[in-house]
Amino acid sequence: MNYKLHRTSNYVRVLLFTIFTLCIFKTHAQERLPSVSLNTENQSIVTVFEILQEQTGFKFYYDTNWFGAEGITKSYTNVAVDVVLKDILRDTDINFYIDDDNNVFLTRNSFVYDTLPENFFGEQEESAVIETEEIETDTGPVFEDKTRRVSERVETVRIGKATSNRNQSEVRLTGRVTDFITGKPVPDLSILVDDGQQGTSTNSNGEYSINIKRGTHVIKVSGLGYKDRVKNAIVYNSGVLDFSVEESIEALDEVVVSENARRNVEIPVTGLVSLEIEQIKTIPLVLGERDILKAALTLPGISNAGEGASGFNVRGGKTDQNLVLLDDGVIYNPSHFFGIFSALNPFSTGSADIYKGSIPVQFGGRLSSVFDLKTKTPNTEKFSGEAAIGPVTSNLVLEVPIKKEKAGLLVGGRGTYSGWILRSLDDEQLSESEASFFDVVAKYNHTLDENNEIRATGYFSRDAFSITSDSIFNYSNRLASLRWNHKFNEKNTGSLILTNSQYRFNIEFDGDSNTDFDLGYINNESELRLEFNYLHSKAHKFKYGISGKLYQIDPGNVDPLNADSEVTPLSIPRERAVESALFFSDTYTVNEKLLIDAGVRLSLYAALGEGIQRIYEENAPRNSSTLVETREFDQNEVIETYGGPEFRISGRYFLNPDLSLKASFNNTFQYIHTLNSNTTVSQTDTYKLSDLNIRPQQANQFSLGLFKNFKDNEYELSIEGFYKRQRNLLDFEVGAQLLLNETVEAEVLQGDGRAYGVEFLLRKNEGRLNGWLGYSYSRSFIRLDSPFREERVNNGEFFPTNFDRPHDVSLVTNYKITNRLSASANFVYQTGRPVTFPLGQFEFDNADFVFFSDRNEFRIPDFYRLDLSINLEGNHKIKKFAHSFWSLSIYNVLGRNNPFSVFFVTENGEVRALQSSIFAIPIPTITYNFKF
Amino acid sequence: MLKRLKKRLPIVSVLLTLSGVFIHSCIEPFDTEGIVNDFESALVIEATITNELKQHQIRLTRAFELEADSARAEREASVAVFDDQGSAFQFSEIEPGLYQSNQVFQAEGSRNYQLSIMTSDGRNYTSDPAQLTQETQIESVEAARITDDDGNEGMAILVNSFDPTNNSNLYRYEYEETFLIIAPDWTDTDLVKSVPNEPDNCTVDLVFTGENDERICYGTNASNTIILTNTNGLDEDRVSRLQVRFINRNNFILSHRYSILVRQFVQSPAAHTFYTRLQELSQSDDLFSQTQTGLLVGNVFSEEDEDEIVLGYFEVSSVSEQRIFFNYEDFFPGEDLPPYAINCNRSAPSFTQPSEFGFFAGCLLSELVAVGAVEYVGPNNGEIPPFGDQGVGPHIVVPAPCGDCTQLGSNIRPSFWVD
Repeated sequence: MNYKLHRTSNYVRVLLFTIFTLCIFKTHAQERLPSVSLNTENQSIVTVFEILQEQTGFKFYYDTNWFGAEGITKSYTNVAVDVVLKDILRDTDINFYIDDDNNVFLTRNSFVYDTLPENFFGEQEESAVIETEEIETDTGPVFEDKTRRVSERVETVRIGKATSNRNQSEVRLTGRVTDFITGKPVPDLSILVDDGQQGTSTNSNGEYSINIKRGTHVIKVSGLGYKDRVKNAIVYNSGVLDFSVEESIEALDEVVVSENARRNVEIPVTGLVSLEIEQIKTIPLVLGERDILKAALTLPGISNAGEGASGFNVRGGKTDQNLVLLDDGVIYNPSHFFGIFSALNPFSTGSADIYKGSIPVQFGGRLSSVFDLKTKTPNTEKFSGEAAIGPVTSNLVLEVPIKKEKAGLLVGGRGTYSGWILRSLDDEQLSESEASFFDVVAKYNHTLDENNEIRATGYFSRDAFSITSDSIFNYSNRLASLRWNHKFNEKNTGSLILTNSQYRFNIEFDGDSNTDFDLGYINNESELRLEFNYLHSKAHKFKYGISGKLYQIDPGNVDPLNADSEVTPLSIPRERAVESALFFSDTYTVNEKLLIDAGVRLSLYAALGEGIQRIYEENAPRNSSTLVETREFDQNEVIETYGGPEFRISGRYFLNPDLSLKASFNNTFQYIHTLNSNTTVSQTDTYKLSDLNIRPQQANQFSLGLFKNFKDNEYELSIEGFYKRQRNLLDFEVGAQLLLNETVEAEVLQGDGRAYGVEFLLRKNEGRLNGWLGYSYSRSFIRLDSPFREERVNNGEFFPTNFDRPHDVSLVTNYKITNRLSASANFVYQTGRPVTFPLGQFEFDNADFVFFSDRNEFRIPDFYRLDLSINLEGNHKIKKFAHSFWSLSIYNVLGRNNPFSVFFVTENGEVRALQSSIFAIPIPTITYNFKF
Repeated sequence: MLKRLKKRLPIVSVLLTLSGVFIHSCIEPFDTEGIVNDFESALVIEATITNELKQHQIRLTRAFELEADSARAEREASVAVFDDQGSAFQFSEIEPGLYQSNQVFQAEGSRNYQLSIMTSDGRNYTSDPAQLTQETQIESVEAARITDDDGNEGMAILVNSFDPTNNSNLYRYEYEETFLIIAPDWTDTDLVKSVPNEPDNCTVDLVFTGENDERICYGTNASNTIILTNTNGLDEDRVSRLQVRFINRNNFILSHRYSILVRQFVQSPAAHTFYTRLQELSQSDDLFSQTQTGLLVGNVFSEEDEDEIVLGYFEVSSVSEQRIFFNYEDFFPGEDLPPYAINCNRSAPSFTQPSEFGFFAGCLLSELVAVGAVEYVGPNNGEIPPFGDQGVGPHIVVPAPCGDCTQLGSNIRPSFWVD
């Protein structure tokens, strides 16, 4: 934001926005403007301004770079100064504003409003009419005061050439909305035609397309975080109307809550949560990390097993049922340090869309949700960066323009110095150990031409622990994605997406005995997807495509670490499979009120050889004695196929302009499953593909919600209910061993799931006090029934899942004390999660054994926590090298000792119950961030 | 291999837990009171009926709380085993919680057996029907001197079995080991307190006993771990050199002559699954363990309340047993014997406790003799010097088990014993 505003007498270092801030509140228009007389002969526009300045005594503010050297030749006699300016500037993209103190502000592309927008949702049509008439009478010397004000506010454009073909009453208006400052496309802004009679929104490339009638229209681009832009369009034929939008004052203060204020009520999608990284900037931090995934947990319907647990439980779903995508590629374990931090760099992450209700057709393969995370689009205009220094990690992200306005590169890296902390500890054992993580991300964007764009992302994260000198445990995620967006014509766009992801973990045990080993697990998947959008008409927008994904899993191997080791190598054979899908959806605008998004995804899965499959007797419990045969499959031989149609249907109906009713039905298949008997994602979880013995998981979800915006979108309210049935959920027999088990299918149970709930969310997006209050009441059950007693759990009745936490309240608030100083508070309350307790001991075969309760019969105590933080932003002086941001936060102010897990150890022959808690005391943290 | 790894993994888990401790700033006792407040002592059934013609035994106990030490016997229950041919075998309590069939019987193939229990509080329990499994003889039991996975040297007891019909597949083992104990410091003389019931009379007498029953004894241990194997996935139903017992060479039970009776049970799939799960559950002990916990349901159920927890198992199983003997000399010729079961420190306690402020503080040697804590070795001819103000006595003694083997075993020679 290095605006240099030019004043003829001297340079004033004032931030443009600051002026605007002042302007906005001074809304009195000039009663009478002075008249001027002048003759110019090929003089530069700047010279003309100087003349005007002399004549009127007004002060002009502008940037000389906006104007070329070409001269203008004009003659005016006693014409009002605003008329003169309007005439001079007619062929430029410059607007002007004259305030009460005789200052003239010239702005490029954007318009300075001297009043708040009229008829934001109103029914009045006259402004449009007047504006269009104004075109015809533009050259008139004098205007009525009223007309003058209106004309100042709105730029008028002509679209297309008039043709004789009048049959076609509708034409297509397309365009692109970019950020005035950065030049980046702005997604998710709403394009409203004639005060909301029609509308659409910009896609991720900032592009929009809408069919409108020929004639005159008022086109408004709006969205929170950006100033509204209004243009009058006289539409003769199909054409292009681009907008350039400025960040709003809210954006400057970085309290952007949503880019699109009306999105809440407008979109037909149920159960969608959108988070912007800026939105969570003031949320109190844990150990100085701003974390978009942690922020997601404060929204209803998304929870986890407790602080420090990785993985998410979305609407009563298991942690393996979430498709976590970063720029289209899958991240299997998006967490660091046992889940205390998420593995996404907060500075490079742009946004997160979390689909927990209706999932768009292009996504599949997981039952519960899609976390669609996007890396920021690199700045193509100027070199910039952001850095943070925290107590545990430091972080740096740089944005480097490669080719102006065309190509940019973003690189980010984050790492811990916990290794250093450990080394400095007195405890000898700890000081010799290591616990570190890092992640790096790079994103390259290149706009080849107006029809082609390439995006590439690379990502790698790695964690390593060696708490004693005997072992090293590490895991890593690797991801590469490439996306080519292509515009075929005004109506057709397409994307080609290629991704590859790998997740692996490794345990090296290097003790003193001869049992040193190296245990490894690798999961690799590659996907190719072709996706097309066809804007058929005003009523129909089609999306269709095809995708194919290849999985390769090496479920585990153990190797002797050195020559002395007597460990026998063991390798569980590789698993391979192909998951492919054909998808199609239509966003159908039935009428102004009803919008339906109906899609179907045909999903086909094939488990491939080579491999060994064990075949068990039918109608018998699976165990070694019912094994019939072991069948071998050759390379690429199809072992088993599964699949079926997945319906994704959702709709929105406007009960009134601010209140909508949405409903959806969604069904999904999942072919890859984690083997996990713990509640949380454990780092030694392995993934297993569906095969002859393990069927895919399935889910059907119905949801219904009411969405309401109040007070010009200042408040958003939603109430959503859902009901979900699931089939073939994976669970395990009591006593099952999961890691390196060659016959794991004999211990796997597949059962039915049932989850339902009501979610309530109230968000206040603007004002000094903003934030949200979320509450959900939801239940999640599973039933593991079988004709055979050994395959039955809890008598074959429904019982609460590990993550069934009925009450979940989150309050996230931020209060701006001044523009630079703000205070935030979080409060979270959750019902304690179910656990299986040991009830007692018994004697059997000369030994004592512990016996357990029914699965999840008990609950650990309720969880609650309060966090506070104070955030101070550095001032916004133009010449300052960097904008700084200080944050002091205290996590768990109440010092509540929330049990994270309860477990049991046998010590001296006695069984003792222990609880672990992650942060049992208040944790203060200071973080320093700066942007340049 | 897998087994070995599993044994190793808990260590890894401990490491992970340690790192957990580092982050988890807090691990502390968790009070289950108020959460688990309805501890109900469940009935526990240990019942294995075999194809041996004998008086079969069934043990009934009650589960006990985590903090408690031992099981309580379930007394005065009426216990019976029925078969589907109308036979009923009644059991009577022969010692607390142990019930023995009134008559000898043996389980026969193709019959379904059911256990029926009525406890003294009038509650009824019945098992699922169970059938006798196929009988497979142990081919051989062998002893071998080996070095185990952890580098320990010792004796392994290995079992071989073969079922040519390929039907047995699932095996469980129990053993009972018996070993000769020779008290190293046994003498033909004992110390006795001169006047038994006078605490202040500190005199002791030497008594010649001659060859009494305290020199040679027989110790017996029963297996206390679950030993399972299966031959699924093998080309033939052959158990080959399965280690059922490993005895470290420093274990005194190897010292002289050792015998082990290995019993091989052929299990039904359901019983085998039960034992496997029980074994796996007993290994689960920490946060990172990947064992699914939960109630392990057996095959005996309450007739009144299907949700009542009943623990244990009623198994009908064919059994085959074999006994072997070996001497230490057979495998460790000329090598030092393992150390004795306890440390045989010699001492010479004085007659009285050291006086306190000049007053008599009580007898010492005569009291040690009276409670049977020491055994006489010989006269103290200056071998043991005085120790501080404790003084020294005229007789050298050792801890009782060093001179009296009955402290460690029985001096009755078992009927099966072969020298």
